[in-house]
Parts: sequence; structure tokens; C-alpha cells
Amino acid sequence: MSSAYTVGEVILEVKGLSQSRGGSPILRDLNLVIEDLIRPGMTMGQVVGLLGPSGMGKTTLFRILAGLDVPDSGTVTLKGKPIQRGLVGVVAQHYPLLAHRTVLGNLTVVGGRPPKELRASAMQMLDRFGVAEHASKYPSQLSGGQRQRVAIAQQFLCSDDVLLMDEPFSGLDPLAINRIINFINEIIQTDEMKTFIVVTHDISAALAVCDTIWCLGRDRDAQGQVIPGARIVKSFNLVERGIAWNEKAINSPQFFDCLKEIRELFPNL
Amino acid sequence: MLGMFSPNRVVSPNAMKLIGLGWAVSFLLVWFFSPFQVLPRPGEVLSALQRLWAEEGLSRELWSSVLSNGEALMISTVLSLGLSYLTVLPVMRPVVATLCKGRFLSLVGFSLVFTLLLGGGHILKTSLLVFGMSVFYLTSMSSVIAAIPKGDFDHARTLRMKEWRVVWEVVVRGTLDKAFEVMRQNAAIGWMMLTMVEGISRSEGGIGVMLIDQNKYFHLPEVFAIQLVFVTVGLVQDYLIGLVRLAMCPYADLTLERT
Repeated sequence: MSSAYTVGEVILEVKGLSQSRGGSPILRDLNLVIEDLIRPGMTMGQVVGLLGPSGMGKTTLFRILAGLDVPDSGTVTLKGKPIQRGLVGVVAQHYPLLAHRTVLGNLTVVGGRPPKELRASAMQMLDRFGVAEHASKYPSQLSGGQRQRVAIAQQFLCSDDVLLMDEPFSGLDPLAINRIINFINEIIQTDEMKTFIVVTHDISAALAVCDTIWCLGRDRDAQGQVIPGARIVKSFNLVERGIAWNEKAINSPQFFDCLKEIRELFPNL
Repeated sequence: MLGMFSPNRVVSPNAMKLIGLGWAVSFLLVWFFSPFQVLPRPGEVLSALQRLWAEEGLSRELWSSVLSNGEALMISTVLSLGLSYLTVLPVMRPVVATLCKGRFLSLVGFSLVFTLLLGGGHILKTSLLVFGMSVFYLTSMSSVIAAIPKGDFDHARTLRMKEWRVVWEVVVRGTLDKAFEVMRQNAAIGWMMLTMVEGISRSEGGIGVMLIDQNKYFHLPEVFAIQLVFVTVGLVQDYLIGLVRLAMCPYADLTLERT
């Protein structure tokens, strides 16, 4: 596959974001720009990874990007508009669904759209994700994989552009992680409008699915002491490294080199 | 067979029926051959039941009690659920928390106040029952609502719902199965409380009055017969609420590990 691309419009921009909890800084002056990657002659979306060890403020950042929390300072804009809840699709860890609604009911519950149009879109979405036959089932009757598909389909109805995923690989076995990776790849290869932002601590899964990785970490002062509050400390363009958009990359030396590099970076973040 | 003595063992429905049957037979054997002469035998209880039904108007008294209890249960459910759901408003939380403390109060202390406020007879009986049931219902239901994980609210918010719609989906619909479960327990509490309430407000009669009278004169077969009616009606009531719960919340039992 060719790795030629051009950079398009800014999809998501985070400027000077800071957030404290109980007086302790969690995020400090965090800046981040996610731009559209356009591949000539191809229709596909992109996957951006926000990677960091546990306790680095990933969930705090996720909540702000989702519009669920308001930061102490700084701005988050989606295609130039200030972020607010419901503007981006949000798939939380463990793929939540409303237990009292059927699969179809979970999709038609989405607010802000005419019921008739929503129902048609929901059926179309279930069909596209291969779970239409389970439309009348309740979430507790679904397998893990089916549940993941329905949870993502539900959030797709909320957003045309960006889907945030919080720790999508957490607590899953390797087969399930592969299933999620394949599923995300399958979606982005058929939908140029979609940008997945995956917040995770799983380095190898992030490398397998992302086009770009942003690492969250904390700076150190001249004495080597950690300065509280995480920022983006490093980014990895996996397209340029020949890892993204390359089906065989997962077994390539570039993949393992990058894996090693991030693993060595983690203890110092 | 030894599996039934192992902790957390899942047994087949047939094995469970067998275990239940075993207990029922054991209970009947103990009752039939009990060395305690004070306990009336099953035959005596059945005769007393027949006499109470045919000669002393048990059916009429029972109907009166069932109606009062049903009415109180409905009113108590509406009041308690309404107030529990209102705990989403911070302004209502202290009110509900205070009302929940009412479960430590004795109903006897309210009989005079309620009589002066509402009058006697049916309305007194119903209001005492409503009060007695509501404080427990409110306590259980407000705990259920307080225990809803924050993530459930956030999830609903990400689905572009307005805040009252979030309340409807997460708090009202999301806890409906538990509301029925609490209602079941509450109905049992109300049914048990009936004797005390009918003892306080005797003018309308009822099965509770009948039980108190028979107990006063040490008519043990009659007392056991009325208790048998209490248990049977209580079980029917519990079963019916369970049926409504299943019809309204078919998803509720899909995740149970034990069958």
C-alpha cells in the first residue's frame, strides 16, 4: 500500500489545556492538533492514539474531549467549534449499553434526531455492523464482540466525524483485542469521515491500529524531579515509519523498533 | 446429590424441585408428628379454616384487607417512587433522607394524629398502611438510585440526551426492575403490618382483626388457619408482582447466574 498522503483540515484542536483535582494538577498546558490525513484516490478515516501509563490523566483528558468535563483552563475545538457533550461519539471502557433497551432501542434512544430518520439510520447501522439479526435482543443476551459492535454503532449515530474510545482493549484477551483492531480497521477503510481517537495504555494494540500516536507524560525539572501535570511529550507518525497502512507491519522490524522505543519511554513519562 | 451441599453450586431445575419437595415433606412430617402438643394438627387447622370461612365471614374480612392493602400499596408506590426519583434534585435530598428516618417510628404513635387529621375508618387504616410501607419503600428505592454508577449518567449524556431525558432513561427506566423488586418486598412488609394497623383501626374489620380476636381467646387452630391464609395471600401477591415485573422488565432476569 502506498503511504503518500496530504494533510487536510484540523479536526480536533486542544490549546493550553489544564485540569487539577483536589489541588493537584492532572493535565498541564496540554496542546494537541489532530489533522485529517488524506490519501489520494482512497476513501478512509484515521486512528489517533493517546497513549500513556496508568495514572497519567488519560481518563481526565478523555472526559474533557468528550465534553463531559469542563477544563480549568484551555480550549478544545472540533472543526473550529467548541467541544460539548454529544458532539463526538464516546465509547467508554467495557462498551456500555442501556440494559433495559433492546439493541435497536439502544440506537433509537439517541437524542436530537427525528424518530423516523433515526430508526432508519439505526437499522442501516446494525446491518452495516453485522448485528441486525440481534436487533430485538437485550444487551445481556449479546456476546462480547456483538456488544462492542452495538456500542460503537450507538455512538456512530451521535457523531459523523469523531469517535472517542476509552481503553477499548482493557481487560480483553488477545483474540478479542485483534477483533477490535480488525473492526476499527474495517470501519476506517470504508469511511473517510471517521476519526477514531483511542485512549489507551496498551502499546502494541495502539501500534497495530493507529496512524499517529501521542504520548502523555510529565516533564522533569533541572534536578530531575517530576513536574506534576501531564502534557503531550512525544508523538509518533506511524505512517512515515511504515507501520500504519501496511498490513504486514505487525511482524516488521519497524513495528518492533517502535514498540521498543515506546516501552523504553514509558518508565520516564 | 452431594453437590447440593457445595457452596455456589449450580443445580438443575429438576434437582431444585426435588430439594424443595424434600423440605416440604420434612416440614409436613414434623408438623404431623410434632411432640409439642400445643401445636394444632393439620386436620384441626383445616377444620378451623372451614368454620371461619363458612360461619365467621373470613372471605369478607379477607377481601376487605386485600383491598385496603392493595390500595395502600398503590398509593405508597406512587408516593415513594415519585419522591425517590426526585432525589435527583439536590433540594429534595434532605427531605427524602428525613422521611426515610420515619421507619424507626411506631405506627401506634400516629393513630391519634392521623384520626384527627383524616378521620377514622378506612382512611385511617389506609393512611397508616401507606405511611408504614412508604418509609421502607423510600429507603430502599433512594438507595437504589444513589447506587447508580456515574458512568451510566455519562453514557446517557453522550447520547445527546437532555438532562431530564437522562433522568428518565437512567433513573426511572433503568431502575424499573429494581423498583418492582422493592415493591415486592414492600408489599410483604405491608401485608405483615396489616394486623397491627387493623388492630389500631378496628372499625372496618379485616383479617387482622380476626386474627387478634382469635389470638386473644387462645383459639390456636383458628390462629394457625388465619396465618395459613396470610401466607397464601402473601405468596399470591408476591407471585403476581413478580409476573408484572417479568412482563414489564423482560431483561431483568437474563443475567442471573443461578437458576
